Parts: sequence; C-alpha cells; structure tokens
Amino acid sequence: MKRFWILFRTELQAWRHDPITALGGLIPSVFILVAFGLLFGGRLSFKIAVLNNDEGAHGMVLAETVGEVLSPFGSSYYDVLDLTDEAAWAEYAAHRIDGVWVIPPDFSERLTAGQEPVIEMHFSNYNDDRAKNHRIYSAEILWRFYDKVGMPRPPLALAETYPRPQMIEWFPVIAVGVSLLSFMLGAMINIFVLTHKEHVAGVTIEFGLAPRSLVWILLPKTLLALLTGLVTGTVLLGILYLWLGVWPGRFLGAVYLLAALVILFWVPLALLWGMRARYFVGVIATILLGLTVFFVGGGLSMVRYNRENVPWFSWLFPNTYAVDPLRDLVLFSTWPADWRSTLLILAGFAVLSVGVGWGLAARQLRRLA
Amino acid sequence: MRRFWLLLVNEFRLARTAVPIHMVAIVQPTVLYLVMSVILVQPTFDMAVVRPTTVAGQALVMAMEEVGSPVGLPYIQPILVDWDGEPVARQVIAVEERDGVPTAVQHFGLIDSNLVKNFRNRLTAAALRLWHRDLDRRAVRIVEVPWLARDVPYTVYFGMALLPLTAFLAGSVLGAVLTAQEFEMGTITEYRLAPAPPLLILGARLVRLVISALAAGGVLLVAVGLVTGVWPSAVWLVFVVLAPVGLIAGCLGTLAGLLLRKVIPAFLVGLVTSFVGWLLGGAFGLAAGFSAAYALVSRLMPDTHAVELIFPRYYGISIGRPLVSVAVLLALSAAMLGLTVVAYRRQVVTQG
Repeated sequence: MKRFWILFRTELQAWRHDPITALGGLIPSVFILVAFGLLFGGRLSFKIAVLNNDEGAHGMVLAETVGEVLSPFGSSYYDVLDLTDEAAWAEYAAHRIDGVWVIPPDFSERLTAGQEPVIEMHFSNYNDDRAKNHRIYSAEILWRFYDKVGMPRPPLALAETYPRPQMIEWFPVIAVGVSLLSFMLGAMINIFVLTHKEHVAGVTIEFGLAPRSLVWILLPKTLLALLTGLVTGTVLLGILYLWLGVWPGRFLGAVYLLAALVILFWVPLALLWGMRARYFVGVIATILLGLTVFFVGGGLSMVRYNRENVPWFSWLFPNTYAVDPLRDLVLFSTWPADWRSTLLILAGFAVLSVGVGWGLAARQLRRLA
Repeated sequence: MRRFWLLLVNEFRLARTAVPIHMVAIVQPTVLYLVMSVILVQPTFDMAVVRPTTVAGQALVMAMEEVGSPVGLPYIQPILVDWDGEPVARQVIAVEERDGVPTAVQHFGLIDSNLVKNFRNRLTAAALRLWHRDLDRRAVRIVEVPWLARDVPYTVYFGMALLPLTAFLAGSVLGAVLTAQEFEMGTITEYRLAPAPPLLILGARLVRLVISALAAGGVLLVAVGLVTGVWPSAVWLVFVVLAPVGLIAGCLGTLAGLLLRKVIPAFLVGLVTSFVGWLLGGAFGLAAGFSAAYALVSRLMPDTHAVELIFPRYYGISIGRPLVSVAVLLALSAAMLGLTVVAYRRQVVTQG
C-alpha cells in the first residue's frame, strides 16, 4: 500500500507541474455547451410577417392566432413581426424573416360563404427540416383558428399524455451529454499527458525495469486520471447548475459511479495512446475522439427513445449506455429503471478495457525496458 | 519562376514532418460531416399507431400517410403496433372514444420537447386533413409558396457551410504548425541564410497553404456530393471562392506561427479561429435568419461571405450581396497578406 501511495503522489506532483492540462478536458466541453446553448437554448420560434388584407374580421382572428399557439418549448411557434407590406417582403428577400403569410381581402367573405377561403404561405425551403416545420406548424394554427371561429367540431379530437407534469427541454438533454464528455475527456487528457511526459523523459523505462508487478504503476496512474475526470465533470455539472439549475443532489454518488465506469473504459486507451503519439497530435486526436463519441453516442438526444437512429457502432462504447441513466439522475432526480443492467454493461466495458489496456501497457513497458 | 517552383515543391515535402496534423487538418471536417449526416434530423418520422379497428382509426392512418411535402419527402411513416397500455418508450397513438367523441390520443414516453413538438405537429397535420374533408369548401386552403422548386435536404446546407471551415482549418492549422516548428526545430536559420528573396519563400508557403486548403475543400465537396447526390453547378467557382478563404487562413496560421513560435499555441489559434468562424458564419443556417447581433457579427467572418457566394452553386439562386462579399473577401485577403509580409520581415528577415 505504501508503494501505491508513493507512486500516486509522484503522479500527482507530475500533474501539479502542469495543471493547465486539466483545461484540456474542460475547454472543449464548455465550448460545445456554449455553442449548443446559443443554438438551442434560446427562443426557437420562426420569425414571420402576416399581411392581413382581409376586409372582414376573420383575417384579424387568424393573424392573432398565428402568434398565440404555443409549442412544447413553451414559446409560440411564430414570432409575428409588425411590418409593412414593403418591409415584410424586403426582410423575407434578405432572409431576415422565415416567412410571410398573406391573407387576401376576400378571406372572411369566402370563409363565411363556404367558398374555399385561401391564404398564401411564403417560406424558405433551402433546409427541408425548416420547410417541414412551416408546413406542420401551420396545421396547429388552423386547428386553433377553427376552434376560435366556431367551426363544426373535428371528426377526430386530439389529446395527449406525457409521463411528467413538466416537459423535458432539449438543451438540458444535450447539456447532460456534454457533462459525460467532460468526465471522459478530463481523465483521458490527464493520463495521456502524464504518460507522454514520462515517456519522453524516459521514466517509462524505469517503470519497465520495476521488479514488482506493473499493476503498482498502472493503478495510481489510472486512479489519478479517474479523479481528474471526476473533478472536471463536477466542474461542468457546476456550470450546468448555474446555467440551468439542474444538479444531481442525493444522486451525486450514482452519477460518479456511472461516470467512473465510463472513464475506466477510456483511460487505458489513452494510456496506450500516450506511449505512442506525439504530444499535440495526441491531445487533438483525444479531443476529436471525445467529440465524435459525444455526437454519435446519444449526446444530442435520449438514446432510449431514438434507438432506431443510433448507429450500430455507437453500441461499441459505454457512453451510449450511460448517457440516459445519467439524465435520469441529473435532470429528473429519479433512479434509472435500467440501473442494474446499465451498471453490469458499463462494468463489463470497464473490466475488459482495463484488463486489455493494462496488459498491453505492461507488455509495452517491459519491452521498452 | 523555377526557383519558386522548387520552393513550392519543398513546401509540400515538409508535409513529411507533420503527417498526422495534415491528416487532421484535411480530413477531419469530412469525417465530421459524414458522422453528422448519419445523425442529422430527417423529415420523415416513424410514428407508432395502434392497429386501427374503427373507421376513424383507419381514416387517421390513411391521412398520416398523406402528410408530407408536395415537393419533397413524406413526414410520417405510420407503424402499426399492438399496444395494451404498457409504458411507452417513444410514442404511440391510440384512437379511442372519450366522452363519446372519437379521439386520437398520443401517449408520449419520456422524450424531450423537440420530439414532442415533432410528433404533436405531425398528428395535428394528419387530423386536420380529416377535419378539412368534413369542412369541405369551408376549409381554409393554404397555398404554399416555397422559395425553391424542391425542398433541399439539410445535409446539403450543412455540408456547403462546412466548405469554408474546411479550407480555413487546413490553411490556418497547417500554416501555424509548419511556421512554428521552423522556430522550434531551428530550421528558420536556413531561411534567414537562403539566397532566395524572403518574400519568394513566404509566397511559396502561402501558395502551398492555399492549395492544401483547396484540396481539403475538394475532399469534402466530393463527400457531400456522394452523400446527398447534390453537386455544385460550377465546381471551379466553388474553388475560386474558397481560394481567398484559404489565403486568409494561411496568412492567419503563418502569423500565429511567426508571433508565437510554439507549435501548440499557434495550432490552437488556428483551430479555435476556424471553429469560431464557422459557428458565427452561418454553420447551421443562413446568418441573416438568426438574431440581429449574430447577423452583424457574422458579417465580419469570411465564412459568411464564402457561404453566400457558394450558395448559388448548390441552390441555383443568389443570396445576400455577392459583390460586397467578393469585396470583403478580397479586402480581408489583402489585409492579412500585408500583415503577414510585415510580420515575416520582422520575425525572419530583420531578426536574422
């Protein structure tokens, strides 16, 4: 045990000479968080103009309805801008607004007389997803409009159920994915940099000459990386608390357990990588690997409910399995229903990676010596 | 001219000193694109519907199949399922009687608001079709006037907006690393002692960086074409637009290398500038469509102007003010070139 602590302290001191490396795990995660926060954390309404030329009253009702109907984001589907005709078309032509609705002069007259009232919806379709939104949002508007003007009831009413009283927002879902990235990167950068420095300084040759089992050398390195990863992830969770007000609270221990098992999968890979790669290229490759895993491993949406969209190769690393239980703990303060199976899977990944990684690393160290 | 040619060949040979960084700089945006094209949202959603046993249920399923773009993809792929009330993973629609009224009840699992929005809107669009049939001539008809003749997949825009990033990343990162490592390895002395005019040496480096940037852009352009089946109308014009982007980036990277003289900080300058320029330069949609502040800041990014100039090649329609964009790219190129020449004289020639 004494040997372990001596080596652990040595690793810690090596890290204290270069504490700036801790930022390697934090900066990319914060960068991603801010980028997605700017993109999806704000108001997601379409900006449009409604040109109401109707000579009756229904055009006004429709124009009001356009800005009233709320989406599950809690904001209206459309932000209706108060623009003159000329300004509206100019803004639309410059792509500063997403669309223009035109209500013709005879709208009310035709509606009342049952003569096929028509409105025009001008919108941009250079992005088929946004074009799709224009089409399906307009259905919500008309549905509410028919209600308001007292049309006969629809043949099929609509209702929905949701398992929670409050809707889960999209950005917090992404943010928890980013926190898993920071746990992972914090540990990987630490063990990569320390191993690389030892490799360059020739310390790894001394390791290789050690008369005892190399587990005594690899264990403190792995534990320090684990610790750094947990600290980095905690800092990001702190940022989430300040930004979104979410915090795992009494589930913090469970969060650490999940994160630790994920970290233990990646740390041996970074250890092996640290003994081979050039310094900055290795750091870049580590960060890019982390970002790729974030994108394809459920970082952007809940895995459980998007299984058909998860590429097959995403199931080859533990993040895909861990990210939803992590969301349960951080966002919903509930125990994941698949807690046991998740732990078993993550433990399997961790044991396999540590076993293979340590074995290969020990072999390489002995060969170097 | 022969001397310049030899210098240029030498610049390309220097790639052997930084093979991994060349791989990252040239191929990484394409890898990012390929990964993102797998997970980017598609308009067609699978929607689970309990196998209909009533006329209303059957009518709803038929209406769901009709919801879609008249100039693009369908929006709903109904999946008929058997369901007896167990907890829902994603969503399921059951048509049932509620207070004597046939009602389509959509039961959601614990999904995020964006998915709820998509499922809710699609179901409303399908149910509205049934309502319109009942209303007949009293129904309000929306005449769609889309901007383009066909809906264009988002993967096309995403790939197109990545082109300037690709050129910028290759130019800036390679410029930074190649220049900084001259100081770290001490080979800068050879340039100081060389009989060739210093600006000829710098010129060869910048030309090499622009060619690398165009090569990176070419790799991505092919990937976007293969994934989407959409190719630019005049490939050479795309490269003409990317050339000043590559020059600006090459100058920036070279400047970072000259001033910082360390590979990692210079590399980080290139990397961060590339991604910030991309995010602020219309990475996910035309910059004008975002907030006024974003739109204003985006005008300072070469990426925005490059995207606006490449846009007509993919969509067949002009946006923004092309002449202004050309002027901005040329002005930025000239300014960065001037700064780089001054810095090169100070850091290499004078201090030699």
